[in-house]
Amino acid sequence: MTATSSRPSADDPRITLDQELGIFEPVPPYPPRTEREAEFYTLGDGQMFINMGPQHPSTHGVLRLVLKLEGEQVVDLDPVVGYLHRGVEKLCENADYHHTISQVDPLEYISALFNEWAPVMAYEKLLDVEVPRRAEYIRVLSAELNRIASHALFMGWMALDLGGLTPILWSFIERDEIVEMLGALTGQRMLFNYFRIGGVNGDLNHDFMSRLGDWMTRATDQIEANLTLLNTNEIFVRRMRGLGTIDGQTALQMCWTGPNLRATGLPFDIRRAHPFSVYQELDFDIPTRIEGDCLARYLLRLDEIKQSLRIIDQCLHRMPDGPIMAKLPRLIRPRPGRAYAAVESPRGQYAAYAISDGTDQPFRLRIHDPSFIHLQSVGQLVQGQLIADTMAVMASLDPVMGGVDK
Amino acid sequence: MDRVFRRRLEARLGPKLTGPVRQRHDETEIRIGAAGVTDVLRTLHDDPEFRFTFLADLAGVDTGTVMQVVYHLWSDVTPDWLRVIADGLSRDDPRVPSVTFLWQGAEWQEREAYDMFGITFEGNRDLRRIYMPPEYTSFPLRKDFYLPDDAARSPGAGIRHMEQVHVPRSAPPATSIRRIRA
Repeated sequence: MTATSSRPSADDPRITLDQELGIFEPVPPYPPRTEREAEFYTLGDGQMFINMGPQHPSTHGVLRLVLKLEGEQVVDLDPVVGYLHRGVEKLCENADYHHTISQVDPLEYISALFNEWAPVMAYEKLLDVEVPRRAEYIRVLSAELNRIASHALFMGWMALDLGGLTPILWSFIERDEIVEMLGALTGQRMLFNYFRIGGVNGDLNHDFMSRLGDWMTRATDQIEANLTLLNTNEIFVRRMRGLGTIDGQTALQMCWTGPNLRATGLPFDIRRAHPFSVYQELDFDIPTRIEGDCLARYLLRLDEIKQSLRIIDQCLHRMPDGPIMAKLPRLIRPRPGRAYAAVESPRGQYAAYAISDGTDQPFRLRIHDPSFIHLQSVGQLVQGQLIADTMAVMASLDPVMGGVDK
Repeated sequence: MDRVFRRRLEARLGPKLTGPVRQRHDETEIRIGAAGVTDVLRTLHDDPEFRFTFLADLAGVDTGTVMQVVYHLWSDVTPDWLRVIADGLSRDDPRVPSVTFLWQGAEWQEREAYDMFGITFEGNRDLRRIYMPPEYTSFPLRKDFYLPDDAARSPGAGIRHMEQVHVPRSAPPATSIRRIRA
């Protein structure tokens, strides 16, 4: 990419657009701006840089990793993100409260219901509105289905990044069934736009319920079958064990959440640590593992699928009758104030911080995305490993670039 | 929030607080100045009475008059989120100490706040733009940054955004900027 104007950079007046910014060159064409950049872009004896991405099959989106290599060993790594930046937060500031729900949908597009949930919860706090219990149960039910779909896809991806093609074909069977099911409920297969401020957009319908009932009778068997595919595969297990290890305290310091944190032995789950919706009434366990390596992160997600099945089962049995929307005017203008709401998405804590100034548009909507947090520690995890293991570590953290880049 | 926790907050952080301890729903809110960030967050993190070991979120905010950095913390001693607002940063040169010495994971969140608001986090060893390209000149989430302004320089110049706030282009930013008392 070339540019011709001679505008100086805001960061550093030494950078102008006269220089042809070779954006895909591993080494930037301007002097280092920070301590860390200076340290990273200084080559030692026998070291070299290599670009992985921005288009690479195993980067889960458009991500560039600058690898500093010594032979085939990774010495250090600098992730370059922003290729998918759409400025969702700015767009939300210029949109109606209801419109922001569809704006945040495509962030973590694998589990879009959670993207809607956090901002909607924050708005409900701003408005002091009580959500009907039936709506809460429908939210939990659909979100847990979405979690299973996300974890199923993770399982396939994980194996695909390690070179196994079969599991992704298997896991897509399951994911497709759930996605079709949610399509029957919400009208969309991936970007649902289903949660509303004060409730949900539609009640449970016959199509959804019959698909769900049909799937629930087979789900456990199907998941067990998927498990045997990889868990007994010696190549897979030996490759993953002991790779990308992190301990609980470091993970907490790196602000990790979700399955990645629980794989280090800390039972931190927003559904229990700071209960939202009706999770307090539901009976489920928080699986943990102590190893903190790629295999633990993989196995932990499989354990979570079983817990999600338990939650879905309870939701179906306890589903109360009643309205699915709170009574709210079409045009909402919350009183000036601030609200923070967090949900436990399949990747960790997904949170929204909303500020209202009394108009019908949010003054500020901050989205906290777990993938963004997890991606920054890839460098630490792969130090001293081989290049091929970078993909395994990346896959085990399960980042979604749509969420990282906002 | 129980009274004990409120009193404990006021007792330990008293002189550093620039406003009353507020509570709404499940959120406790305290306000500090930029100078108090290091001490207050270290106390909250290290003190066995608080144990706020988990940084849930770090956000920059432009209120139109001042800049803020907002920290959300979680601890097992209270059922609520704790919101710490570092208030009153100047819009011309917002500066605040980095918290990467407590939470290394704050590094990218601070880079994001720098990229979007131009807030300088002193002590962050990797404070460069993260989303926008390095030669980018403005800070997109500031309130004096309008979407049409950006479009004028972009390949899609001239396209009016549907959600655009209708402010005359000739108006000086000081009069047309959206503000809040936050």
